[in-house]
Amino acid sequence: MISENNSDSVEETNRFRHKTDKTILKKKPWKSYKLHLTVLALVIIAELIGPIKVPITSNIELSAMPLLWAMLGGLFLYLFKPAKFITRKQARIAEGAMLLFIGPLLCKLAISSGQSIDVLFKVGPALILQEAGNLGTIFLALPIALVLGFKREAIGMTNSIGREPNVAVVIDKFGFDSPETRGVLTVFLIGTVIGTLYISFLSSFCVSVLPFHPYAFAMGSGVGSASMNAAALAPLLAMFPDISTNIEAFSGFSNLISFCIGIYVCIFIAIPLTQKLYEILEPKIGRNPKDSQKEGE
Amino acid sequence: MDIIDGSESVSITGIRNWILLLLIFSVITVIGNYVGYHHPMGESLVGMLILSGLTLIAMLLERYVPLNISSIVYVSLLGLILSLPMMPTSGFIVYYVSKIELLAIVTVFLAYVGIGMGKNWDQFKKIGWRGAIVTVAVITGTYLGSVIIAHIVLTLTGVSI
Repeated sequence: MISENNSDSVEETNRFRHKTDKTILKKKPWKSYKLHLTVLALVIIAELIGPIKVPITSNIELSAMPLLWAMLGGLFLYLFKPAKFITRKQARIAEGAMLLFIGPLLCKLAISSGQSIDVLFKVGPALILQEAGNLGTIFLALPIALVLGFKREAIGMTNSIGREPNVAVVIDKFGFDSPETRGVLTVFLIGTVIGTLYISFLSSFCVSVLPFHPYAFAMGSGVGSASMNAAALAPLLAMFPDISTNIEAFSGFSNLISFCIGIYVCIFIAIPLTQKLYEILEPKIGRNPKDSQKEGE
Repeated sequence: MDIIDGSESVSITGIRNWILLLLIFSVITVIGNYVGYHHPMGESLVGMLILSGLTLIAMLLERYVPLNISSIVYVSLLGLILSLPMMPTSGFIVYYVSKIELLAIVTVFLAYVGIGMGKNWDQFKKIGWRGAIVTVAVITGTYLGSVIIAHIVLTLTGVSI
């Protein structure tokens, strides 16, 4: 049963890959040179602006890194169309290319992991066990989802951080037309749009407020997608430049672990736990179903 | 869907497109790396070519090894193994790849992400604020849960910086 579940969900993941292949294999990349030149311009502008620190109180400050300028710049170009040639087609190519470019990004993290392998072994238990921390989302987010009037959607929404592998698992378990799948797709979509931005501020805030180990923050930043990982890492790297290789190593390794065993944590622990908690909490704090149907679509 | 789906569409053109895209990505990153962090362009270009080469190998492994392992896992394992201190490749790879700042790669990556996610904006607006609140709670819970457990275990096992 285990292997059957697994191969089905991997096939779901393949569907995302299939889409990418179609987009970037058929279009000749040099034909969208305007897109690449735009990205180059965005990157140069972003790097020239550099990091900006926004003090909130005397000892709390949020830092915004060039990566945010580049991302917001790209979004701005698409939404407000100051440059006519950034169209839906260009966006689709960018999306396809992005899935290829995760490669060099993760490879850089992996090389940091490889060169500091001895440190990784020293902190092995923390690296493995923090994966269980991903269950924290259930206790925080499920009650909120129920109070807001979500019903079974909430099970899909809150069992995990809702990236590609989790979407695959939920579809596999509940079927494509289930409320659970609708829920996980909602979180997937919103996470795609605001996740990177949000986790960058969350991490920036937590790093300056919470007195935790920098390595703990590094491992925490590996919870989501590759771009979320990078965005969460940026404020930490800016704050501890001396141990940047170790920080990259922990974060990259944590991301790899999330990817490899996260899917099993999701299948065997997270989803059953969410369902159990849903049964307990729903009658107590859930709102009446009519509410949820109005906006829940 | 075929068992090893995608492989049928990997033609010579496909591989050439991957290589070209990775080259474009490398050049933009090297320029960003120079503007933002003043690393010499020649050395960081070698570093980017190493990363791109490994990515390409991982993409091909994903499609030709019938194991259903994602290229993300392959590229991570390749990078990890080749840079282990006992490997002969380690010195070369670590030297050149260290010339590229992770953040320089990420900035280029996120510029593409920004343009790509504009496409999802309308759908995003339709879902509304309740979905957004839950998503923010989901991300916060996962991140904090992970950080807190990692911190506790690090403290218990006595790991210092």
